[in-house]
Amino acid sequence: MDVAQLKPVVEAIIFASDGPVTPKMLKNFIDESNGVDFEKVIEALNDDYQSSGRAIQIVRVAGGYQMTTRPEFATWIRKMYMGRTSNRLSRAALETLAIIAFKQPISKAEVAAIRGVNSDGVIKNLLERRLITISGRGEGIGRPLLYSTTPEFLQYFGINDISDLPKPREIEELFGEGKYVDQIIEALSSGDASEEPQEDNHQESETQNDA
Amino acid sequence: MIYRVQLENFEGPLDLLLYLIKKNEVDLFNIPISEITRQYLEYIEIIQMLDLEGASDFILMAATLIRIKAKMLLPKPPVDMDEEEEEDPREELVRRLLEYQRFKEVAIKMADYESQRQLLYTRRYFDQHMEPEPQDWWDPKTSYTLFDLMWAFKEILQKAPKVTQHSVEQIPVTIDDQIGYILRQLDQNEGQLLFYELLEKLKKRIIMIVTFLSLLELIRRGEVEVTQSSTFGEIWVRRKRWTSLN
Repeated sequence: MDVAQLKPVVEAIIFASDGPVTPKMLKNFIDESNGVDFEKVIEALNDDYQSSGRAIQIVRVAGGYQMTTRPEFATWIRKMYMGRTSNRLSRAALETLAIIAFKQPISKAEVAAIRGVNSDGVIKNLLERRLITISGRGEGIGRPLLYSTTPEFLQYFGINDISDLPKPREIEELFGEGKYVDQIIEALSSGDASEEPQEDNHQESETQNDA
Repeated sequence: MIYRVQLENFEGPLDLLLYLIKKNEVDLFNIPISEITRQYLEYIEIIQMLDLEGASDFILMAATLIRIKAKMLLPKPPVDMDEEEEEDPREELVRRLLEYQRFKEVAIKMADYESQRQLLYTRRYFDQHMEPEPQDWWDPKTSYTLFDLMWAFKEILQKAPKVTQHSVEQIPVTIDDQIGYILRQLDQNEGQLLFYELLEKLKKRIIMIVTFLSLLELIRRGEVEVTQSSTFGEIWVRRKRWTSLN
């Protein structure tokens, strides 16, 4: 089958599914889809929706495809779901998730060390919301439980993969490596920090983030 | 002087410290420790009044700040040419602040992702559908853990009828009874069942709990195995050697 023939079949499967449908699943369901690039099929479907002004779209999330409404219709749907909308995560929860996402697998104690504050309650909450899971035990004293993010985490933030998250700025960018070491040592020893080089560095890292 | 800031806005001592540094427009690499410490102590006085438990993290940081200041005040030993220059006592603190700052920045961006995602609505309220049987019980890709099993159990318990009237009665149920129950159920269903099917017929929560413990015991003994047909799927329970034991 070519893209045009596959389009309605793929559309039907994604429509009828209650979660993201991975390309592998599509391949299993559609015998005649050997060697097909499903990404092209999804693109063609999204083009159709766009050009005919439909309210739906297919997004790439947690390694699969899922049908959602377009963001501009949220106002009305929110009214329909009044009282049943999911709560936003607290800042503590977001910080903890950011640390776990980039340092996984990681223990409670390591999370607390970075945040400078006890994080047991937050972690328990995130476990209950299934945004993180226990993924093993560490080597350290007491073999502490280690935590990692889940596919639900990817779904919650609407991303396909952990690598889609904004990268934390490298600490070395600001501190501890390369030419900046000299500037920092100079600043610390003279007691008079040199402003400009740091400014440069700051901007540089911000543009990297935007990219 | 006390800044008019809501204390609960601070996620912890590092967060408060970063705020004070920003507020005073001081350079992260040249923190005036005594001034920042003074302001910091003003805050934790209030925090202590409000929330004793959380305050301990803040007090620890205050102690760290004071220790750094003390270290900076002490006369330095004459510098030995062979030895490396002694580390500025503030360096470790700066490192921690920066490490925290990185993730704080990411968390702020993640909140944007969250709001963007919450504008998209997926289809929901699906009818209960046929759960596909797992094709490979030992597929390492299925991310099934004990926690998944506990979670499924919690969901079933939540669906169980709530008893508002309370009376004390002895419910004669043992792990051995329920092991027998599980194995009978499995045998009547060709050796495999969905986890919730196993529990949904039980009416009393205590029996559900004992049955769950029995299931864990059977898994431990290796008589029963458990898997998930997909990452978001239901949990299946299967009799491991059910033909040979019949």
